[in-house]
Amino acid sequence: MKLKDIDVAVIGAGPAGMAAAIRAKEAGAEHVVLMERAEELGGLLHQCVHNGFGVLYFNEDLTGPEYGHRFIEKVMDTGVTPLLETMVVRLDKDRQIGAVNTREGFISFRPKSVVLAMGCRERSRGALNIPGSRPAGVLTAGTAQRFVNVEGFIPGKKVVILGSGDIGMIMARRMTLEGARVEAVVEILPYIGGLIRNEVQCLHDFDIPLFLNHTVMQIHGEERVEAVTVAQVDGNRQPIPGTGRTIECDTLLLSVGLIPENELSIMAGVQLDPVTGGALVDETRQTNINGVFAGGNVLHVHDLVDNVSWESELAGESAARFAIEGTQEGRGKIRVTAGRNIRYVVPQTISGARDTTLYMRVAEPEENVRIKIGDIMTKGVRAVKPSEMLKIELTDTHLKKLEEGTGELVINCEKRGGK
Amino acid sequence: MSQLQTEVLIIGGGIGGAAIARELSRYKVDATLVEKGVDVGQGITKYSSTIMCQGANVLEFRSEYHNSRLVWAGMPMMEPLCQELDIPFKKIGSLELIENQAGMKHPEKMLRRFKDWHGKYLPADIEPLRFIDRDTLREWEPNVNKKYIGAVYDPNLAVNDPVRLTIALVDNAVKNGINVMMETEVLDIAVGTDDFEVQTNKGSIKCRYLINAAGEYVNDVARMADADDFAMYPVKSYQAVLDKKVGGLVNSMVLTMKNGMVSPTIHGNLFFGISPGTQRLGRAHDHSTDKKLADAALKHAQTLVPAISEKDIINAFVGFIVFRNFEVGWHECTVGVSRWVPRFINASIGFPGICASPAVAKEMIEILRQEGLNLEENPHFDPYQKAMPDFSELSDEEKSRLIAQDPRYGHVVCRCETVTEGEIVEAIKRGARTLDGVKFRCRPGMGRCQGGFCGPRITKILSRELGIPEEEVTKKGGESRHLMYKSKELLEAQR
Repeated sequence: MKLKDIDVAVIGAGPAGMAAAIRAKEAGAEHVVLMERAEELGGLLHQCVHNGFGVLYFNEDLTGPEYGHRFIEKVMDTGVTPLLETMVVRLDKDRQIGAVNTREGFISFRPKSVVLAMGCRERSRGALNIPGSRPAGVLTAGTAQRFVNVEGFIPGKKVVILGSGDIGMIMARRMTLEGARVEAVVEILPYIGGLIRNEVQCLHDFDIPLFLNHTVMQIHGEERVEAVTVAQVDGNRQPIPGTGRTIECDTLLLSVGLIPENELSIMAGVQLDPVTGGALVDETRQTNINGVFAGGNVLHVHDLVDNVSWESELAGESAARFAIEGTQEGRGKIRVTAGRNIRYVVPQTISGARDTTLYMRVAEPEENVRIKIGDIMTKGVRAVKPSEMLKIELTDTHLKKLEEGTGELVINCEKRGGK
Repeated sequence: MSQLQTEVLIIGGGIGGAAIARELSRYKVDATLVEKGVDVGQGITKYSSTIMCQGANVLEFRSEYHNSRLVWAGMPMMEPLCQELDIPFKKIGSLELIENQAGMKHPEKMLRRFKDWHGKYLPADIEPLRFIDRDTLREWEPNVNKKYIGAVYDPNLAVNDPVRLTIALVDNAVKNGINVMMETEVLDIAVGTDDFEVQTNKGSIKCRYLINAAGEYVNDVARMADADDFAMYPVKSYQAVLDKKVGGLVNSMVLTMKNGMVSPTIHGNLFFGISPGTQRLGRAHDHSTDKKLADAALKHAQTLVPAISEKDIINAFVGFIVFRNFEVGWHECTVGVSRWVPRFINASIGFPGICASPAVAKEMIEILRQEGLNLEENPHFDPYQKAMPDFSELSDEEKSRLIAQDPRYGHVVCRCETVTEGEIVEAIKRGARTLDGVKFRCRPGMGRCQGGFCGPRITKILSRELGIPEEEVTKKGGESRHLMYKSKELLEAQR
């Protein structure tokens, strides 16, 4: 394949990129390249040796590498061209891509369409601005996961984990299984940041103490972490004086949120949603830049990999259509906006012309609610949590209720019952 | 334990010791620099802000102080020095913002002083200061708080990378014949009639002249020889580095006396900090940040530039200065021969040390001469250093060419700063022994993810290049290992 003939270029070969590339190929795009900076396909799935992958997508409970492997095989079978150890360093408004690798040096080409699938990164200590000294032994949970599961090293044996995101809880269990002692999982919010199943299976089942409404106030130790000071916080997330106590430890793992990795998107002029940190897209997952699509965690941070795969397939299919037809039929004009207790909704615009699934997250946990999609649909939900994505499908039955000229659909999460 | 003999011993591999070593290498002299850390420039130098050439705020200094003379003399030396050493240097200028008519008093005083001192204390080649009005300020700095009615513009202020400068100075000194010993900590000093016997963890070193450039440990070293009895007052400030995506919020450094400063860095990040007023007294050798200072600094920065967001902070650290005299504060330094011990020379620069360092080095040559050292010119002295390649700054063609020469330049290891394996290997070849050593030479891990992605990969490269196991790779020497155990090691220990 010549570079000038590329129809769809997918940037990033994690679960999102693989799903997008496969679907783009299946949808008829002839030359699909899957660009990946690492040595192999699969992204972070390799280091996620725990189970819980594919329960929805494959109806099977798989480990990360198993889930990844199914897609890797399909990438090969469908004839997608992987471009490994290749780092995209530039993306222009007109979809011109600049990349480097050890074989060809600097390469540049302009595919007919692009799928952004760069995933996300973890918030670091700097981004949290945790006061204290600057010793070794402060790692993000994902970095620790790579060390333990891929490289074969254990960062330390007395561990405190700040944040109760899924990777943090999974690493609490993993470190315990490796013989380390997890002294505490500390969460600033009144509820955990990850999935309930991880709280039960990773913390409760291993008697790991969880401190809600607490945070790390200070890091101690000049060369290696020696201790952290943990304190309770008030309703404004400010430490309550007098509640601080020092926990001796040699390692502090951080699991305090993920940030979509959109540096290339910004370079290309893609507009971002300040809440998701990902691109503003319509229901085809097209960004404001023609022929540039996005899917997976680069668009918004997902709860389950299954949803990443589905969403990216949609982006891949749209990218293939764009590559084949050269244009995109009518862009979404109806804005979908977050109302009461809704933190964000993706896509941010829809056309109303085709069935579409809305992905959203609530701001606060709540029970007995109904999700109202403008005036076209209402759905009762027993309990909602910020850690779990809500998916609501809008079909023809709902969309035909849209009045001519509707400019906005507001989504509200309302209390059901008496009050 | 070995015994070493050297004519001049420099204690401390910070900016001061480095500048002196390099200046000495112009002469035929047997000199040794010892540094207790695993790398140079990792003490106060690292904690300094990236301001290289101070501008208007040196006018605050009193003309009679030694430090003022060194700072002023050092100002015009910095740019040519950086050119010789192939170190980036950028004049960005500073704007001292004026809030209201009452706030005009201070700038007016500064401008008056500048006129009086220009060509007298301040070198004549320093560009003059001037007022700019509200409209000009808004045009130059659209993101600065609209409440300011003007500013004093000082075109002289420049930014650089002080750690890279220190590394280049030491590399150049080594190239010109200075002996450098790393991880060599001075434990005791015996004063003889003609020489000093210095005990270190690597054996004893006999020397005739001793230069004490031990930074925040300068008084400890002085006391070992009963050379001086001064107290040092550590003063702490707070500094934060922000994501490159907001690097363009200001073009110059903007500051007020009250609110500290906001500035671009030489690498394109944004940077803010509160100036270390003398009220910020810290504990000795305590480099930890605290929430109170952090919150205050952010508020001040937002007063100057309202668009600054805590969300964009990627790293924060303390600014750390040791003052010789707490009352006098930053106007005093200690560069000169000990009051009691001949040939024992203190080189504690004070603030702003980076800016003064070239002048301190020149003065040190004169002091050594006066103390009897015979200094003949080194005919082989080569003032030039070549910086290592910066892949991200190369053109597309240059990138391809470099990769063709060495494919490791086609392997991007740090994605935030686009640093390649080729650069990392080169940094190790040039003396990096730790993750921080690599980071300060070619920036992997300095970006927004702070080494989350590249950390494990650089650990591997260090391990491979240095021929040590991965778990012995440290962040900054000593016990700062990231990886304490091998897989299953803990379980086996419990069995």
